[in-house]
Amino acid sequence: MFGGLREKLKAARDRLGSSIQAAAAKAEIPEKATPASAEPGQKPVQEPVQGSPASAPALSAPSFTQKIKTLIVDRELIVSEKDVDEALSELEMTLLESDVALPATDAIIGSVEKNLVGKHRKIGESVDDLVVHALKAALLDVLGNGFDLREYITKHDRPVKILFTGVNGTGKTTTVAKIGDWLKKQGFTVVIGAGDTYRAGAIEQIGVHAERLGIRVIQHQEGADPSAVLFDAVEYAKSHKIDVVLADTAGRFHNKANLMSQLEKIKRVMKPDLVVYVDEAVAGNDAVTRAFEFDRTVGADAVVLTKADMDSRGGAAISIAHTIGKPLMFLGVGQAYDDIIPFEPAKVVDELLEGGP
Amino acid sequence: MDQRELMTLQNYLQEYGQQAEIFVQQLQMLENGRMEAHAAIEALEGMLTSEDGTVLLQIGGGASVRAKIVEPEKVLLAIGSEVIVERTNKDAVEFLQERIMEMEASQKKVAETLDRLRAQMNEINKRIESGYQQAMAAGQDLG
Repeated sequence: MFGGLREKLKAARDRLGSSIQAAAAKAEIPEKATPASAEPGQKPVQEPVQGSPASAPALSAPSFTQKIKTLIVDRELIVSEKDVDEALSELEMTLLESDVALPATDAIIGSVEKNLVGKHRKIGESVDDLVVHALKAALLDVLGNGFDLREYITKHDRPVKILFTGVNGTGKTTTVAKIGDWLKKQGFTVVIGAGDTYRAGAIEQIGVHAERLGIRVIQHQEGADPSAVLFDAVEYAKSHKIDVVLADTAGRFHNKANLMSQLEKIKRVMKPDLVVYVDEAVAGNDAVTRAFEFDRTVGADAVVLTKADMDSRGGAAISIAHTIGKPLMFLGVGQAYDDIIPFEPAKVVDELLEGGP
Repeated sequence: MDQRELMTLQNYLQEYGQQAEIFVQQLQMLENGRMEAHAAIEALEGMLTSEDGTVLLQIGGGASVRAKIVEPEKVLLAIGSEVIVERTNKDAVEFLQERIMEMEASQKKVAETLDRLRAQMNEINKRIESGYQQAMAAGQDLG
């Protein structure tokens, strides 16, 4: 997953590291020269030691404080903007080329810069650690906290109603089945509402999945009003004390007004607790744009990205939470029912920066 | 195997078929992107070797015009995330070559998944066929 981005980040990380190392080397050479000539931001800080006369004889033995100062302050480097400027530009290009949305890219660059520039760094400290920590913090910032569905269900009144929306052909119905299976394994009872009454074969498709997984499906005829199907699914869940209703819907594009108003009606009728937007990770920035539009028109509380195993760039996964301000909940990573993983930002970042501390 | 089982297998087959169709479309899109990138590389390299900087510019509908490239060394390139940057001709070619490699890697993955799906479909087909044969032998009505 996201192999291309991982490789590119490794290159960007090495580039940042060598820039800082080069600055550190420059800082070490003029250390013995006149501190006054030190270039701001690149040379060790040499503050006058309190209480010691500024015109102390040059040959007098160094005081204890001076020795400490040499060990701690003089052996530090202040990373300047100039030191990492080029490497940051390269990182910016790397992220954009990986389809990370511009606002997310800006946020990552800003955070890395803030974490590195102007900070006192011990020269002996591993530069790679420094860079990896800055990158980790930046990526975690944009990835947000994820969405713990298990916790959400535990804390809410049952049945928890989850409505799935998204464009055509992204794997919405399969995702509903996979999440149903995941929820069952977490110990919840589940019912699926076959709300995609539009696409030929969709009702049979969800029926096949549900039968395999041992989940009850509420369905009407093809062409029926999806609001009615999903209302029935909620009523069934209430009367049978089911924990979660998963409501499948027909895929639609956000610019189709009539289909979007149908989704509005579904929302009014079934009153979902969560609206989950499903798209495919391989769509890259398009997925981010579409998620934004869906959120603007019918709302979205969380996002699921499918086909993440086929996505080498990782752009959508990195940018979606930051760009639309809604957390990523699951990643679809294969064809089997258990090929769905809850999105855990820390895990993803560790994987992306593999080989780091 | 009873009629209900046969129906279920038919449904499985249909479901796999729909999934396979999506992957075939994805493969086609990747192939189109790859071919497009190859064509762009060829054009970029051609621009540099063309004596007076004249190239044939396709304007759609099968129509082309002769066009003179003012700055064949500078290329405006969409690098992703709807961002367009100026690159040198050489850098643009390198970028496109990298993209081709990425697309080829994705194609390989999609093709592998498609092969797996097709193998599963074959398996289901065999089961359906043997189910029908059993039913025929037993004289069941499959209508």
